[in-house]
Amino acid sequence: MIARLRIDQAPILVLLLICTLWLLIPFTMAVLWSLVDPSGTWTPDTLLPPVISLYRWEFMWNNSLLQPALLNSYTLAPTAAVVTLLLAMPTAYALGRYDFPGKETVKLIALLPLVVPTFVTAIFFSSILFQMGLAQYRFFAILLAHAVLFLPFAIRILTVSFEQVRQDHVDAARDLGASPLERFRVAYWPALKPGIMATLLIVFIQSIEEFAIAYIVGTPDFTTVPTLLYSQLGQDFNRSNAAVLALILAVPNVILMLILERFLKSANPALSSGKG
Amino acid sequence: MTLGRAAYILMLLSPGIGLIVVFIGAVVYIAVAQSFGYYNLIGESGFSWSFWIEGIDRKSYLRAVRYSLYVGLTSAFLSVALAYPLALWLRKPFPGSMTISAILKAPLLVHGIVAAFLFLNVISYHGILNQMMVWLGIFDEPRRLQNDEHAIGLIFLQVWKNMPFALLLLTGAVQAISDDVLNAAQDLGAGAWQRFLTVIAPLTVSAMQASLIIIFIGALADFTFQTTIGPTNERSLAQYMTFMKDRGRWNDAAVVGVTLMALSLAGSVLLAVVSRLAFRGRRK
Amino acid sequence: MLNRLMSATAALALTLSLAPAQAQTMDWDAVVAAAQEEGEVTWFVWYFEDRFREFTKAFTEEYGIEVRIPDGDHIANIDKMIAEAGRETGDIDVLAYGFDQLPNINPELFIALDGLPADEGRVATVAGIEGGAVAVAYWGNQTGIAYDPAKIADEDLPQTPEDFAAFWTSNPGQFGFNYENGGSGPSFYMSVLRAVSDVDFSESDDSAERIAALQGGIDFFNEHADDYVITASNADSITRLSDGEFTMVAAWEDHLAGLQVNGEVRDEIRFYIPEMGMFGGGNAVSIPANAPNANAALVFVDWLTSPEVQSRFNVEFGTAPMNLAADDSAALVSMEMRERQTAWPMRPFRDAVEAHFIDAVILER
Repeated sequence: MIARLRIDQAPILVLLLICTLWLLIPFTMAVLWSLVDPSGTWTPDTLLPPVISLYRWEFMWNNSLLQPALLNSYTLAPTAAVVTLLLAMPTAYALGRYDFPGKETVKLIALLPLVVPTFVTAIFFSSILFQMGLAQYRFFAILLAHAVLFLPFAIRILTVSFEQVRQDHVDAARDLGASPLERFRVAYWPALKPGIMATLLIVFIQSIEEFAIAYIVGTPDFTTVPTLLYSQLGQDFNRSNAAVLALILAVPNVILMLILERFLKSANPALSSGKG
Repeated sequence: MTLGRAAYILMLLSPGIGLIVVFIGAVVYIAVAQSFGYYNLIGESGFSWSFWIEGIDRKSYLRAVRYSLYVGLTSAFLSVALAYPLALWLRKPFPGSMTISAILKAPLLVHGIVAAFLFLNVISYHGILNQMMVWLGIFDEPRRLQNDEHAIGLIFLQVWKNMPFALLLLTGAVQAISDDVLNAAQDLGAGAWQRFLTVIAPLTVSAMQASLIIIFIGALADFTFQTTIGPTNERSLAQYMTFMKDRGRWNDAAVVGVTLMALSLAGSVLLAVVSRLAFRGRRK
Repeated sequence: MLNRLMSATAALALTLSLAPAQAQTMDWDAVVAAAQEEGEVTWFVWYFEDRFREFTKAFTEEYGIEVRIPDGDHIANIDKMIAEAGRETGDIDVLAYGFDQLPNINPELFIALDGLPADEGRVATVAGIEGGAVAVAYWGNQTGIAYDPAKIADEDLPQTPEDFAAFWTSNPGQFGFNYENGGSGPSFYMSVLRAVSDVDFSESDDSAERIAALQGGIDFFNEHADDYVITASNADSITRLSDGEFTMVAAWEDHLAGLQVNGEVRDEIRFYIPEMGMFGGGNAVSIPANAPNANAALVFVDWLTSPEVQSRFNVEFGTAPMNLAADDSAALVSMEMRERQTAWPMRPFRDAVEAHFIDAVILER
């Protein structure tokens, strides 16, 4: 039955091949670039860099803001993910489970943070902070701004999840005399879990990637990974140094991905709830 | 709806929607006011239509609007169109599906700036792609592929970066469709395309809308990809706005900024309505 | 040496800081002591941050004052300073920016630098823009053309717009310049516009007539549109030149030299200023009025603009020294060639030319 469900696989396999190559090739090249010693320039006519050393790695580890940036970003992002999730839950519950006048309008309002270009948001948010004398609380300011910016994602995803909670399951649980907690566990949790995981994952990634707010509000005490990348890979890029950063920053992400893939697997409703 | 129920709904909405309204409201207010000449950082402030009248009249303005819409819509449609078959394929686990899913989702965790930088190295004049094409005899000599004028490289990267996002949303939605429903459709003799139109799409329309809209808005307001790998004979709206801002022309930048907001909003509504009309109507 | 430097600086259109060594309210030793008490200084600079972090370790060793250099962007740094002007204590001790930005900044946002010890070699006016009492130059730079000598002989280098046109026609796709993300390309096309049309680029007037008078130069670029390449940034141009894609690109002298010292770009790549002239200038540092460590900022500015540091900049970054007593022998171009430097056009004329060039040439491609 599964076999019959598959759509023609040839284009999908080609796509997979492209995706794999597109991951393997650039990162192999990045490794080579990162090993170029300043004493020998690597030109396209040679297959490998003429002089290989770990000089760039040492230089970047010691002289770039890599260390604080990693610490900051990987503290900020998980916190932002949890805060955003908590703020979004009640709204998503209302949107997913109730019908009320103006619901479509509310859904549109929820998209507002996406519609405003983040640089505009960043500049005026920082100006508000200064006027209120709160500018020194950079971490909390960025956290708040990230939570607001990423609420639309969380609300959309969780609304979908709440919509997918099956009313017959809720009713059945209630009819069988389950307590509210029990009802949540049986009827809500299986449908919500993938949404919650997706929300945490997406907000985490968005927060790790966010540049405008982190830069305008965060400098100079608060360097994040994107502000670091922007300065290294932007207009004055130096390929070798940029390659070192790209590689170092890929490592935590790969580990993270493995963990999340596990989460998502265990959150698969078709597997965990025996539904369908 | 009773008063108590209304209060209950409002209470539920306040931490999410309430916060958004207060926070974004202030920012939007100032941006709009600036486009009409208020809140000048330097010089006099006061109401004026002139920034809009002159701004819309500029050739670069319309070019930027057209170009950004092209990038936004193309990226959104292509990403979702690619994500659907993948989501359906990965609906049930099979040997190797974990690995495939991980490879497909990897772009979520590669920074956009890093991806653009690596991509540039691959397609550069002496990059590995050109060398391979020459070696294979497909190209006679290396070709200039970077910053191509049709934004193919940029859209490739947009799709590469955003497709996993759509995949993530759609996988959840597709998995929630029960096998009974799909089987029933099949028993009635529906083909793959028919099944998609009549069963899968209508049942996943929420996730489809969410993916389309979120990818559209992101690509519409793109700055990093455009400035590194985008065509050099086009400017995106975000790039155009930054161009103005960097020259201290805040009011002109605000005109572009407000345009960007308006297009995001209008485009999102359009995408939401179209996808709903196209698929909700077929339900039942 | 001094003589040579004097003529060089005249060519650079630099003038001495005329700020008199005023009766200082505070003895310099006391400033240094107060600076050491503050213990740190935050320098906002928008390029080479990593290398400056390494470079300024010498300052920390000498004074025991930590230098913090956040990663930044040119305009965003200035915007941040302006946005924070209302605060009693800001984040920025020393702000670096291009001299051409100075007319856009209200000088009252900075403190007067008359607390610095007297040094007649210091430079406060670059390319016709006066730093007054608030800004002092620490970085001299020059735009020109970087070329691959393996592909073109020195005597064949284009010197005038006509030469460039001839080169483009016989070598299509071998010349690149950027129009955004860095000033090297804009310097090139504006210098051509300046040479081809009859408009005075030292006037700031941006009236429609003056822009319309550039038409000859605009046509020049449009006629040859297929034969030159638009690149994405300063770095993109140089990298692609070094990789062998181009014969010539518009570039910054200091940027090229810096990338060569770093092993990022081939040492063979050379640099010249065409006879038609290209723009040169420099970067300034100023101390915001609400600097949290104002004394440390003063000591840092004094160190940064000293002859010793300026000489080392010349060696390590290829800059034109911004102290008359510094040694500039490591530069990529000769003193004679430096005389071809012209001053950047004044704003808002420059902004109007850039906007017009993008509309009439870039978007027409």
